[in-house]
Amino acid sequence: MARNPIDWSPKNWLRLLYDFFSSFKLATAILIFITLVTLLGTLGQVDHGLHAAKEKYFHSFYFIERFGPVPMVLPGGLLLMILLFINMVVGAIIRVKKRWKGVGLLISHLGILMLLVGGFVTWAFSTDGFMALYPGMSSDRVESYRDWQLEIVPLTAEGKGEKAWIYPSRQFESLRPGEERTLDASELPFTVVVSDYSRNTHPIPISAPMASQVQAPEVNGYKLAVNTPSKEAEQNLPGCYLTIQPRKGGDPIRAILWAASYRFDPKEKSMPFTFTVDGQLYAALLSKKSWTVPFTVKLDRFDFSRHPGVMMARSYESLVTRSEDDHTDKQVEIKMNEPMRYAGFTFFQESFGPAGAQPGDDMFSQFAVANNPADQWPLYALIVVSFGLSLHFLLMLFQFIVRSRHKTPPTPFTP
Amino acid sequence: MKTRSLITPILALVSFPAFLFGGMEAPKTTLESYTPWQDDTVKTFENILVQQDGRVKPINTVARFTLLQFLGKSKVWFQTERGESYRVDYAAWLLDVLFRPQIANQLPVFVVDDSEVVVQIGVSPKSKRDRYSYNELLKGRSKLAELGAEFEAKEKKYRDSEKDPQYELERVEGMILTLARNVSSYEYLIGQFGFARTGEAMVNEGMLPPEMVELSRRLNIVDMVDKMPEMTTAQLSQLIRQAPGESEDEKRFSAALRLFFFQASSAQGIHLFPPRDSDQEEWLSGGDLLFAGLASKKDREWTREQLGKIQALTQALKKGEEDFNTALHTFSDQQHAAAAALGEGTHSQLEIRLYRGQWFINALYCFVLAFLLMAFSWMTPGTKIGKLLTLGAAILALVGFALDVYGITLRCIIRQRPPITNLYDTVLFISAIAVLLGLFIEYATRMGVGLLVAVLSGVLGMFLSLKYEAKEASDTINQLQAVLDTNFWLATHVTVINIGYAAGLVAAVIGILYLSGRFVGLWMRRENPDFYRSLTRMNYGVICFCLFFSFAGTVLGGIWANYSWGRFWGWDPKENGALMICLWTLVILHGRKAGWIREIGLHVNAIMLAIFTTFSWWGVNNLGVGLHSYGFTEGVWGALYTSWAVMAVFMLMGIPIWLHDTKVRQEKKLKSHVGKEAHA
Amino acid sequence: MFLFRITFSPHFSLSKRPLQDQDNSNRVFPSVVIAAAALGMVSCERASTILEERPLSESEKQFRIDVSDAQRFRESRGEHADDSHGTPGLSFTTPDGWTQKTGAAMRDLDFSFGPNGEGECYLARLPGAGGGLAANVNRWRKQMGVDPLTDEQIQALPTRSLFGQPARFIEAEGSFSPGMGSTETFAGYRLMGLILASDDGAVFVKMTGPGDLVEQNKAAFEQFISSLGVKMP
Repeated sequence: MARNPIDWSPKNWLRLLYDFFSSFKLATAILIFITLVTLLGTLGQVDHGLHAAKEKYFHSFYFIERFGPVPMVLPGGLLLMILLFINMVVGAIIRVKKRWKGVGLLISHLGILMLLVGGFVTWAFSTDGFMALYPGMSSDRVESYRDWQLEIVPLTAEGKGEKAWIYPSRQFESLRPGEERTLDASELPFTVVVSDYSRNTHPIPISAPMASQVQAPEVNGYKLAVNTPSKEAEQNLPGCYLTIQPRKGGDPIRAILWAASYRFDPKEKSMPFTFTVDGQLYAALLSKKSWTVPFTVKLDRFDFSRHPGVMMARSYESLVTRSEDDHTDKQVEIKMNEPMRYAGFTFFQESFGPAGAQPGDDMFSQFAVANNPADQWPLYALIVVSFGLSLHFLLMLFQFIVRSRHKTPPTPFTP
Repeated sequence: MKTRSLITPILALVSFPAFLFGGMEAPKTTLESYTPWQDDTVKTFENILVQQDGRVKPINTVARFTLLQFLGKSKVWFQTERGESYRVDYAAWLLDVLFRPQIANQLPVFVVDDSEVVVQIGVSPKSKRDRYSYNELLKGRSKLAELGAEFEAKEKKYRDSEKDPQYELERVEGMILTLARNVSSYEYLIGQFGFARTGEAMVNEGMLPPEMVELSRRLNIVDMVDKMPEMTTAQLSQLIRQAPGESEDEKRFSAALRLFFFQASSAQGIHLFPPRDSDQEEWLSGGDLLFAGLASKKDREWTREQLGKIQALTQALKKGEEDFNTALHTFSDQQHAAAAALGEGTHSQLEIRLYRGQWFINALYCFVLAFLLMAFSWMTPGTKIGKLLTLGAAILALVGFALDVYGITLRCIIRQRPPITNLYDTVLFISAIAVLLGLFIEYATRMGVGLLVAVLSGVLGMFLSLKYEAKEASDTINQLQAVLDTNFWLATHVTVINIGYAAGLVAAVIGILYLSGRFVGLWMRRENPDFYRSLTRMNYGVICFCLFFSFAGTVLGGIWANYSWGRFWGWDPKENGALMICLWTLVILHGRKAGWIREIGLHVNAIMLAIFTTFSWWGVNNLGVGLHSYGFTEGVWGALYTSWAVMAVFMLMGIPIWLHDTKVRQEKKLKSHVGKEAHA
Repeated sequence: MFLFRITFSPHFSLSKRPLQDQDNSNRVFPSVVIAAAALGMVSCERASTILEERPLSESEKQFRIDVSDAQRFRESRGEHADDSHGTPGLSFTTPDGWTQKTGAAMRDLDFSFGPNGEGECYLARLPGAGGGLAANVNRWRKQMGVDPLTDEQIQALPTRSLFGQPARFIEAEGSFSPGMGSTETFAGYRLMGLILASDDGAVFVKMTGPGDLVEQNKAAFEQFISSLGVKMP
């Protein structure tokens, strides 16, 4: 029985394409590749850290992996997910024969599609950040874990500011050593020149022994040394050189900005570089990117307990008051595995600090704040898929047992 | 008649370990004679409560894991100078350490895997791998402390530098560090009741300046508390740094202070005394009480009363073991009453039963015996005896399963948690599920294969659980991190995903049976296509089962993560591991539909599935990254690589079988072609 | 494939932006125009910028403006100078030639100096009065083998500022016997130290060593004292 030759004529292309995208072969190939990419992405975290590995393997269309000396181009997670989606829609939903026996599988495939769509929505539309509060503090501001920006704040003589002008980091994060970028905004009476921005840095005084080895300009007795970025992207402390050039002329003001001057502990105050132009005091600092939620959260109480006699945390939970302009206040408890969901935002009891706090010290409570439209979709998808699979497998199991038991005497096992 | 001839080899195999030990000699000690503790005394002692690692537990558990940690075994084996040999079990050993330290110091309880370790600290080595007593190591004590501190600092740098290889400890360095830690923990144990041994020589008398020896023997540390002015621990430590005055009195006072400080600092780590106030959770050690009494006059009466209980014990021991046992009983009763008032210590008897019952070792014996019975049944296929043997094997497998489940249940009750909270639990649980799956398959098919799968899984699982416990040597009923403190998710996600793991492993066992069976069949020119076809159907079912549970487990895990960390999926290694298991089952199921894999492919990929399963189960915890870093174990990679190599060998067996099948198929095709033509 | 990526990413970055930014949708159009214009200017690295603006939340309105570069760069913390040595709550500068030691109990900071490290300086804090000023002064004097002082003499001791409070300055020369079980004495030694005793607690700073060496390190001692501060949590 020879195979039928394939009709390659153009008018059949659509048909071929349909066959290709609906085929089990494509499905299997995609699944194999996703497994491979997952494996590489897991192992890659050891060397690159979670964030970098995620970007390279899972949030990409393709990536290049070296197996020994051989570089290979492989499909990235994003591409594979899109292909899988198409393959499932065409193959498992449209093309599949609609029989009662296949209804379980059809349902479970629909569930997986939901999961994929949910994943895409999360990836594209969700935000996540954190809010840290000491008891008694309140805030409506959520900070990014790892995105930084340059801010200029006009200050009163006492160091109080009302608003900040933001230069997003995408405007200067691509700078290579020695390069500079002039940021010219008409709102301010000076231009800002950023140079030598680097993701992980630390300033060293020129008196330090290693200072002579650092190839960087000196400003006010300091040089900015570049560190290798940490595998934990949250640990990075970016820094840059800053030159303020007043429009009316006058000497440029030079400074080094370093992320660690930012307040990490909510009790702290940021320590910006301050300068005066046209008699107005300004602060310049690198700060965490942030955004607001449409309500205010006040931490009333933070209960933290350790297992007796050891440092391991047993439980921690927060009692907060959520208030809005036009609503009455509402007290809510947030604890591990029991987040507060409100107005599209979810507050999770994430962590606590400061690091190394001893029993009895003041501690802050940290919430992860996520905004994910597809928050609950996985749960629905799970229910759908589980239902579909149960239906299918129970049917199969029944058949299997009936067939096995009613067959002519079973062959005993002898190796 | 045939059965009798079988009994000898079975006995030989079962008693194999005994043979192994019989050939070795018990380590010699300097002890002239040894009086073992009476069973009654040990029974009373093992139920004494201790708070350790945030949990109140019987001292039996502490003893067991301490000895495992020092020696890697749960019994100390030695012979006296007269040549009498003894095997002292963990609780009795701890009794020696706490109450007869001079004897305990002569027992060989520190295992050293490489004699290089003792050479480096200046102690004369015995054989390459040997056991040393504390007294034997004493000569190298200060060198050991020095090297230990050095390697501890190096290890810390290694951790802090995100594993910079230049700070990685070498093998011997790691062993020295372990030995240094063990010896130090041991010293805390022998010093634990030093304060209560007035009238006896101090254990480490040799370390004292000569002028203090006499004082140390008659000083009553507990009485001293009353006579001192109030001072904090810090003030005491400051005070003993000052040079003593000129007069004899001042000198004696200073020496007494130093002895007090030494004894109180030594009596740390074993928290025997329930807190006085019910709003307190922390139990206190003898040293804590001494310092507390020193710090505040109003606590003195209470602390003296508590410390007096230990003094009563040491005094009673001098009178004889009967008295000691009675005193121990009194102590234990008072302690249990106080603990009960705090709602603690309620399951201590169960916990003792958990370890004394040796459920998992006994389960292992059952499975091994069941395997032997099955092996003998293959020699007499189809006969009555064969059937009887198989029945016996099935019963033994059921008993083994019951023992495993009983042990798991005890653990659940003791800590009031679902079955799995740590890596050790997963071994017990997965074994149980794998055995159950095997038994179910046997029930459905009656082919002997399911039983074999059950028995093999049981043997491997129980063996692994024992190995892991001895290697970790720390209490496996531990407190949970805050994020895991939810019985709902532990019962759902964790249980379900581990059922998935079990199925993945069972699939591999069936795959191995198929491939090796057919490989041997090819070689011996014996084939049984029907049998193997049903094996494939069976494995297909197991793979579907695996998909269902690993998928549900993975998504449940995601939902849990969404509740506790705020994201459904974070590409965390453990999540990825579970995902890979799901994906590979899907690859198998879709690959079959695509026509890429048939029987052989299914079994080869089932083994691959197990490789992903073991990677996810053990491997990812040891990558050192990710949020699920709750089960880090050293030396796992070696074992994993070995298991993968073995599995790869079985997978390779698929190649000759595949070549053979292809040839047969082509021949068949040709024949039918020829036949058709002839027909035409 | 690459094309895909380009067309995808702007959408991605826009939607990834936080909610508040999305409200400023009227800003998108001008920024697109300007971005297009900027494309032609990339080479000269000068970007006209439309600034985004945000109101400061109550908790972040106040800045610390009286800070030196050293503070801004968290000198004592940034270099991990003291954190790794477990001295919570103290900031200080290690004088040149001094080496910080670890391990001694009850000492918050511990340094050695001199060719063989025979010079020693430590800082210790004790809760409570720690025995009182007089007892401690005379304890030190006794260690140096010199006669105790009377209360009036002690009250007349000079003071130095330690953590912004007046601490008694003690100097003594003689044969030093450190105590702590050691029976050795060191002749020709010198002690220089500060004791700050109050009812809440006592702080001791004590430098000992051979006479010449201590004399040479007098400036370093002063410098160390003045660098001491309590670290902001």
